[in-house]
Amino acid sequence: MKVAIYWGCEIPTAQYAYEMSIRQVFPHFDIRLVDLKGASCCGGPVRSINTSAAMYLSARNLALSSQTGIEDLLVPCNECHFMLSETKYRIDNDEKMREKIEKLLAEERLTYSSEVKIWHVIDLFHDLVKVDAVKAKVKRRFEGLKFMVHPGCQIIRPSEIGRVDHAERPIKLDALVEALGAETLDYSEKLDCCGAALLHSHKDAALSLAGSKLKAVQSYGVDGFVDSCPYCHMMYDAKQEEAATTVGGKLSLSVLYYTQLLGLALGVDQEKLGLHLNQSFDPNKLDARAKNILIPRGNLDDRL
Amino acid sequence: MSLTDLMTMAKSNKMLQRQILSQLWEVHPDECFQCMRCTSGCTSLKLLELKPHEIVLLTNSGFVEELVSSDIIWTCASCLKCRERCPQKASPYNTIMALRNLAVEREAKVPEVYMKVVAQILETGLMQQVKMVTSREMQPLNRKKLGLPKIQCPDDKFKSSFMKALGG
Repeated sequence: MKVAIYWGCEIPTAQYAYEMSIRQVFPHFDIRLVDLKGASCCGGPVRSINTSAAMYLSARNLALSSQTGIEDLLVPCNECHFMLSETKYRIDNDEKMREKIEKLLAEERLTYSSEVKIWHVIDLFHDLVKVDAVKAKVKRRFEGLKFMVHPGCQIIRPSEIGRVDHAERPIKLDALVEALGAETLDYSEKLDCCGAALLHSHKDAALSLAGSKLKAVQSYGVDGFVDSCPYCHMMYDAKQEEAATTVGGKLSLSVLYYTQLLGLALGVDQEKLGLHLNQSFDPNKLDARAKNILIPRGNLDDRL
Repeated sequence: MSLTDLMTMAKSNKMLQRQILSQLWEVHPDECFQCMRCTSGCTSLKLLELKPHEIVLLTNSGFVEELVSSDIIWTCASCLKCRERCPQKASPYNTIMALRNLAVEREAKVPEVYMKVVAQILETGLMQQVKMVTSREMQPLNRKKLGLPKIQCPDDKFKSSFMKALGG
């Protein structure tokens, strides 16, 4: 099947590993991704400046998606997913806002259609592809490895607009990691926010939020930490070293995108999954047992 | 001076309060009964002293001018817990966003990054420029070297529509 994909800003301008691993794994499930042409920012950061201008940006991307003739739209960034879902909910239920936005869209000959179905990586795999189908495709199972997952904030709340998973007890990402043969552990800090939204205005607070969560996860002795949002991943991976300075002690926790972990299980080459871009995940730093299971010798010799 | 001190010193401004309420859709700060579920789970409570129930109370009391010129409305991490958990559909998150919008309109101090983002979207359609990254082994890499396709940015027509959206 074909699925339209809206990348947002952070993924195509900085978080290349997420884009690479997404492009790698979906064809394994007979899903062809179709990029939107001329897509813009979702409006997430514009919402603080002008809410209706932010919603215009989201609606424009939804209209571009409709233009492809494909009903399903994949939005792998949590912030974009929230902004697009929130806008869809608003213009489907608020005639005044819909009129205002339709007028602006008409200038580019774009039309909004409420038919578009918005997916995130997590619910697309969990609810559409299905966990059993993921399990069936796995070539290498990660038996004996333990992970903790970070679902993030904006894909699980607010439930009134329809979200990817339960607002207080999200379990879908756990189920998807378990489909690869690994174990996931529940933990009390699971719903804690990564702090990314504060990074440019309140840096210390943002780093401290990321650092405290990483410190907690590390203390449980897991083999890795799995996320699925470009902002959360930036905080936990690239900013990990800096975050460590705010919580005292050293942080050395392997952080991976779910699509990277899935790619490894499908037998995809590490470099094609952008694993060399993860600053926190160094196969050579893993303990021998984890290294053997996650990256078997043949694959490790490919490069890295 | 804490925000609550303002309540003894400042005058309530009902006009600005109405302006905030008119911005909100299906959100009712005036129905807040101060249960503080929002504040008890707030991401920014501990580090930045954001108390969402206080923001709603001050809005309801008409101290909007004070909120709009305060740094506190810019400390929200947008985790949406307050919106999810509010039993009264008062959504402190949406109230804070409406206050931020008003701060921009009234040219109060707004963290620089937000204005930069708008300027960048007007230029390329995206909120930041395409970055060069480095691998763990310090090898500089870009989209092309990583085998990723070129980004297709929106054209000039988008720019004028976005300008209009910002103006109206």
